[in-house]
Amino acid sequence: MKILLQWLKEYVDSGVAPEKLAADLTLAGMAMEGLSETEAGPLLELEITTNRPDLMSHYGVAREVSALYAKPLKPIEPQPVEVADLAAGAAKVEIEAPDLCHRYAALVLCNLKVQPSPEWLRKRLEACGIASINNIVDVTNYVLLELGHPTHAFDLDTLAEKRIVVRAAKAGEKITTLDGVARTLKPHHLVIADAKRPVALAGILGGAAMEISLRTKNVLLESAWFEPVTTRRAAKDLGLRTEASARFERGLDVEAPVRAARRCAELFLELAGGELLSGVIDVYPRRWDVPEITLRQGEILRTLGEALPAALVERLLAALGFVAARADQDSWRVATPSWRRDVSREIDLIEELARHYGYDKFPARLPPARQPVVLRPHAQAEAALRRALEAQGFDEAVCFTPVHPKDAEKFLAPGEELARLRNPISEETSVLRPSGLLSLVETLAWNVNRGQRHLRLYEIGKAYAVREGRFQERRVLTLALTGLLREKSVHEDEQPADFFALKGAVEAALQPFALPPFGFRPCDLACFQSGERATVEAGSQRLGVLGRLSSTLATDFKLRQAAFLAELDLEGLYAARLLAPEYRPVPRFPGVTRDFSLLLDLPVSFGSVRRTIESLGLPELVAVAAVDRFRGGALPADKYSLLVRVTFQSHERTLTDEEIRSASGRIVRALEKELGAKLRA
Amino acid sequence: MTDILQKLPFKITQLGIQSPEEVENIFAELRAAFDRELGEKHDIEGLEGIRIRWRGRKGLDRLLRDNWLKPESKFKPAVGKAYNDFKDYVESSLALRLQHLRAQEESREMAAEGVDLTLPGLAARRGARHLVTQTLEEICDIFARIGFSVVEGPEVETDYYNFEALNIPQHHPARDTMDTLYLDLPARALPEEIRGPRSDPNQFLLLRTHTSPVQIRTMEKQKPPVRVVVPGKVYRRDNPDATHSFMFHQVEGLAVDRDLTFCEFKGAMEYFLREFFGPETKTRFAASYFPFTEPSADLAATCGVCQGSGCSVCKHTGWIELFGAGMVDPAVYGFVDYEPGELSGFAFGMGVERFAMIKYGVDDLQLFFQNDVRFLQQFRR
Ligand SMILES: [Zn+2]
Repeated sequence: MKILLQWLKEYVDSGVAPEKLAADLTLAGMAMEGLSETEAGPLLELEITTNRPDLMSHYGVAREVSALYAKPLKPIEPQPVEVADLAAGAAKVEIEAPDLCHRYAALVLCNLKVQPSPEWLRKRLEACGIASINNIVDVTNYVLLELGHPTHAFDLDTLAEKRIVVRAAKAGEKITTLDGVARTLKPHHLVIADAKRPVALAGILGGAAMEISLRTKNVLLESAWFEPVTTRRAAKDLGLRTEASARFERGLDVEAPVRAARRCAELFLELAGGELLSGVIDVYPRRWDVPEITLRQGEILRTLGEALPAALVERLLAALGFVAARADQDSWRVATPSWRRDVSREIDLIEELARHYGYDKFPARLPPARQPVVLRPHAQAEAALRRALEAQGFDEAVCFTPVHPKDAEKFLAPGEELARLRNPISEETSVLRPSGLLSLVETLAWNVNRGQRHLRLYEIGKAYAVREGRFQERRVLTLALTGLLREKSVHEDEQPADFFALKGAVEAALQPFALPPFGFRPCDLACFQSGERATVEAGSQRLGVLGRLSSTLATDFKLRQAAFLAELDLEGLYAARLLAPEYRPVPRFPGVTRDFSLLLDLPVSFGSVRRTIESLGLPELVAVAAVDRFRGGALPADKYSLLVRVTFQSHERTLTDEEIRSASGRIVRALEKELGAKLRA
Repeated sequence: MTDILQKLPFKITQLGIQSPEEVENIFAELRAAFDRELGEKHDIEGLEGIRIRWRGRKGLDRLLRDNWLKPESKFKPAVGKAYNDFKDYVESSLALRLQHLRAQEESREMAAEGVDLTLPGLAARRGARHLVTQTLEEICDIFARIGFSVVEGPEVETDYYNFEALNIPQHHPARDTMDTLYLDLPARALPEEIRGPRSDPNQFLLLRTHTSPVQIRTMEKQKPPVRVVVPGKVYRRDNPDATHSFMFHQVEGLAVDRDLTFCEFKGAMEYFLREFFGPETKTRFAASYFPFTEPSADLAATCGVCQGSGCSVCKHTGWIELFGAGMVDPAVYGFVDYEPGELSGFAFGMGVERFAMIKYGVDDLQLFFQNDVRFLQQFRR
């Protein structure tokens, strides 16, 4: 709301400098957005909250100023001179939709002279951002800015039968509004019609055909009250926010129309001559009942934490237009002014008092603690995950979840559909991502294409999909690796990211959780490259997927280097207990290692070697490790060599050579028998 | 060439000097002799020997002064000048050589240790937690210190939880300030335990515009006293720019109890802002309007750039506007079957990215979601 300080001063003199006034109004709920100099003097721009349409005027703000500084507010009592002829004889008003139009008041003025407005009026309107048109339209806008109530002047002679009918629009009915746009109406739109056709969109904008022109002599001045939600819906439908609709949709003062109309008439007679017919045509089918609210000192104290002196309560309420009468020692019966439809409850009054007493005057006290703090149920699990991943050099990413459907489809699991948005901002953000993998692939590409080629990223977020008509939102942890894990330096050789680096990160992420033994199994997920993709499973539970990004997707996302990604299901992980450390006695006797150089058929995995050794149940067996792996050279094409290191250790004694020899022999025989392994020299 | 040093025991007048040029010549020879000696390999001790021989009180200098400098002759001025130049030359050469020897000695010590101490150390690289997560955790931690638990909830919500139960009915003007993204799915697609009995199953689902729905869900499940903060992602139908994003993060909070007043509300908010921005921070409470709080306030803190005296960052007001908050509107209690007459409480909601931007001077909201590692790694701790 633009407020001219000189104009404001006509109703109240704050007695303070503009900067101080702006700061005080800000504290009282009218936030200063700007203070500037205009041709009509200093202009204060205030942000008015949606509950306070009464502040969308100079007089409304003046009332607040008067209450803030305890300064008198000058009343506005328009006294236009009337001629003997009755307005009721010159025009008729009917309201067919009283629920949507609670009141319609009209004045009739004759023999006006339409002409440019005087300079003082033009300057004020223009400073407030409203273009000057002619003296009649300008006066209605002036009164809008002064009192906050919209009025509308019709050229009376253009109204068929000089009749106003307030009614719902008929489906398909058309009107060309003042802005020259032809609009088709719907039955939930409220119109002002004459005997034949709509002449205005109620509370929004007038029709072009009834516009005040230089030929206009006689005017019907409308000052009405339209229902907020109807006005708001119509304005939204028609994409037409006006000064009038912005006020009606917030709930205006139903007692204001006559005063606003008379104020207009006063200015019409002054600036356009003519005569005002006597009487107001005032159709008022839905009267406003003045709400009476009980205000208790006890409730003020209970809400605000401080008791306010009774005299102060009474002064502030009176200054704001409330009528408070003592009910007893500690309470009042308060009648609400008609312009404060936002105030209907005791708490509303308490807010008024707090606002004008000053929020800054209340002391600050810490709330007492009442119960132990509970972190999120999975807070510890998440912290353990983050520690594990950050220790491995993974940087955290936070990614947008609305994504492009064409990308999202590539990561959609079988049996799932994308969750689509009805009103997306753009096609690129029109579905919710079905997987965190998509987001990290995009993030890798963003970085690699900006020269950041060695990346380790993790993200904790959600994935969304529809399965059999059911919407699912699940927490996921996504990992991504690309480029070098380690760049070459004087100390170390470079180490490229590969599948096993990813597998190690997945294992590290799972390590804090008490899960059944988990394993990695081949899978056929299309987003990963065949031969380097797996699911990770614990018993029958699938914990996640991992693999090398397929070359097709890498090309699609313009990622020109190998990338390794995993997605783990956090709902599953968070359901598991966190492992607590467990004490075991530290071995007192030395361990012994034996290396076995094996020649194996290609399909035989290290895992089966280890299982075969472990299934022997050797009590002293401590570890089985793969130390070296070799293919090609002199070896047959379907074979490879594997160097396996086995560690033996006893808690009771030092193992003898004989015991180690015997155990080694059993291992070799089992590997030969079960897996067809050959011991190499 | 005869050794110049052998001429030193003789008076200069005995050397048959005929011209000033000859004076210069003998001093040049002297300098050459000194250079030869200095040129030999020395340690610091050896260098000290040379210094004593050439400049010591009983050394060659004494002969020079007694035999060449002092005797009267017509070449005395030339000798004086040549002597001074020579003396300066010897001194500075010795000092330079000494410095050099010391440096050599240091690097020899280093070589003896076997490593080049100037090479970088070898360490595993730690990852960086995202600034949003760090800030969100910091906010939650501060509130935990004054008794607030942390709860979470779904991002896809029903109209009931996101708006209606927060006292924002259909067509309420406040809906304009939170342009909403809707899903092309009716509420009945949500599992019943999330949808709740009061959500209209035929209304479209939406992406929550604030984390307040979780406050309603908490109050549905838990009787007072309640003290919770709710971190998480929220969505608005805003076109992205340096200060807007269709997705960002909030921490909202709620306290409901029998003894909470505007004063406790102020106390909790001031405590939080001092902990987050520093002990000197002052807080401004300006009246405002939100459908789910009353009285409502817009909170601002003293501008950290100008300490409140006014600058371009705070638009010369000295204050940085931070977030909205207030006493819980009693109407909200009606939606969760709380008894309004006996209870009171306060609620607040803040944008996590905004707090991070103010604290670290980050000037573009989009940086948070581009995930450029050069941005992410700046916040490694
Ligand atoms: Zn500043």
